[in-house]
Amino acid sequence: MILRELELTHYRNFEHVHVHFDAPIVLFVGSNAQGKTNMLESIYVLAMAKSHRTNKDKELIGWDASFSRLSCRLDRRGSPVTLDIQLTAKGKKAKVNQLEQRRLSDYIGAMNVVMFAPEDLSIVKGSPNVRRRFLDMEIGQVSKSYLYNMLQYQKLVQQRNQAMKELQTGKAFRDMLDVYNIQMANLAVKVLQKRFVFMDKLEKWGREIHAQITQGKEKLTLSYESTFPVTKDMSENEAEEVVYKYLTSIQEREIVRGTSLAGPHRDDIHFFINGTSVHRYGSQGQQRTTALSLKLAEIELIRQEVGEYPLLLLDDVLSELDANRQTHLLQNIKDRVQTFVTTTGVEGLYHQTLQQAALYRVKQGTITRE
Amino acid sequence: MYYPEPIAKLIDGFMKLPGIGPKTAARLAFFVLGMKEDDVLEIAKALVNVKRNLVYCSVCQNITDVDPCRICSDTSRDQSVICVVQEPKDLVAMERTREYNGYYHVLHGAISPMEGIGPEDIRIPELLRRLENEEVKELILATNPNIEGEATAMYISRLVKPFGIRVTRIAHGLPVGGDLEYADEVTISKALEGRREL
Repeated sequence: MILRELELTHYRNFEHVHVHFDAPIVLFVGSNAQGKTNMLESIYVLAMAKSHRTNKDKELIGWDASFSRLSCRLDRRGSPVTLDIQLTAKGKKAKVNQLEQRRLSDYIGAMNVVMFAPEDLSIVKGSPNVRRRFLDMEIGQVSKSYLYNMLQYQKLVQQRNQAMKELQTGKAFRDMLDVYNIQMANLAVKVLQKRFVFMDKLEKWGREIHAQITQGKEKLTLSYESTFPVTKDMSENEAEEVVYKYLTSIQEREIVRGTSLAGPHRDDIHFFINGTSVHRYGSQGQQRTTALSLKLAEIELIRQEVGEYPLLLLDDVLSELDANRQTHLLQNIKDRVQTFVTTTGVEGLYHQTLQQAALYRVKQGTITRE
Repeated sequence: MYYPEPIAKLIDGFMKLPGIGPKTAARLAFFVLGMKEDDVLEIAKALVNVKRNLVYCSVCQNITDVDPCRICSDTSRDQSVICVVQEPKDLVAMERTREYNGYYHVLHGAISPMEGIGPEDIRIPELLRRLENEEVKELILATNPNIEGEATAMYISRLVKPFGIRVTRIAHGLPVGGDLEYADEVTISKALEGRREL
């Protein structure tokens, strides 16, 4: 997948820009607050029909403008595709090859991107719910039934918690809790099995990529920490049985606390480099590289799903990796994945990187090729 | 207020109904103004009658104007089956099939602790009393296929176990007449789960 052209009108701080791309690596260079990240964001919006930074589409429309238009031309499996998105205060319209898509879910997927922004470091450093959200987002992208089951599960947990709180007042009964336990075992196992499969794939690709970036010095391993005593080699029935028994055994404690103490909503993932926890003992650089490896693994996962490599958007990360890691990162994705990078200056970048790159200077809402 | 009081009151009245905002309410109110008086009286009577003359059937708990309701007093029906539904609307949907010839029980809701609805707040006790007194062989649980409906069905099946009655749950999955290719992923995977041997 290659992005050839990008045109933005009334988008954030860009009045009107029209850019052509022909290089495998595109660098957006400029000082702070000039619009570099806005450029990357616009590509993301064209792919996902929403921003990664905000849920309010209104914020994407430039000051003093009533609408915003984004369009791009890309090569997908060798043939050209045009995408358009129009944003107004009333809503958005999305077109593929000039054809309006009534449902956004039909639009999303026309262009695939993987974004790595500074915030993504929290996948490694942040709290468990960041990692769970990462899992849910990634699996949800390729499996709608996972999303459905997860949603049902979350609803069930709320009902179950409320039922436990009400046990004292007589509004709920023991028998009812048992019913919720059965339902929970059923849904939790469905969610867990999908997560196990995803974790295996993520580890397979993440490990390979991490080894390449670090020249084989670091071995990345992942582990899924389930709060249920379920393992991935159990069959669905077996696992349900185990969860149900476990829930019965912790029932009293749960009732006292009035909340569901175990389940996929309490699970976590751990990352290890050469056997030591990255979260606890990893250096800043190792944590960053781990997060990057995971995101790059996503590239391979998407390729498996759609049969073509996505675009890679790197927001301000290249300059934070040393020359070695930079080279190996780019070596790894070179010729396969078109990459868009923002940076404040080219001084920190390795000269080999620069040779393959096309430089675009972003200055106060204008963009010029150098 | 810009409207004369009678109209303003009518608009406020319409706005209490679900799905009706201020604009629709105003449009309806002015339409009523232009209607024949007889027609308006007819509607007004119907509104009051719904409230005054409808009761819950003492047997199946459905809303009715005669007690017991027409279905419960129909002796040509199969007495050995009771179909449990959540709402009167669901009963009507079942009746439309003209396939089902047993009796009904309307729960008026599903168990949902989040909304403060416990097993005693819907018509489960009434159902149990019926099972004690009537000669029922099968109980069909036709609650909705969501978390609350499933939990309610499962809960009832536990309570009913001591009676030794056969308890069944309606199937869910692919709609009839629809092509497989047009069904969404979730529906298909649900249908796959509920597959049966031929």
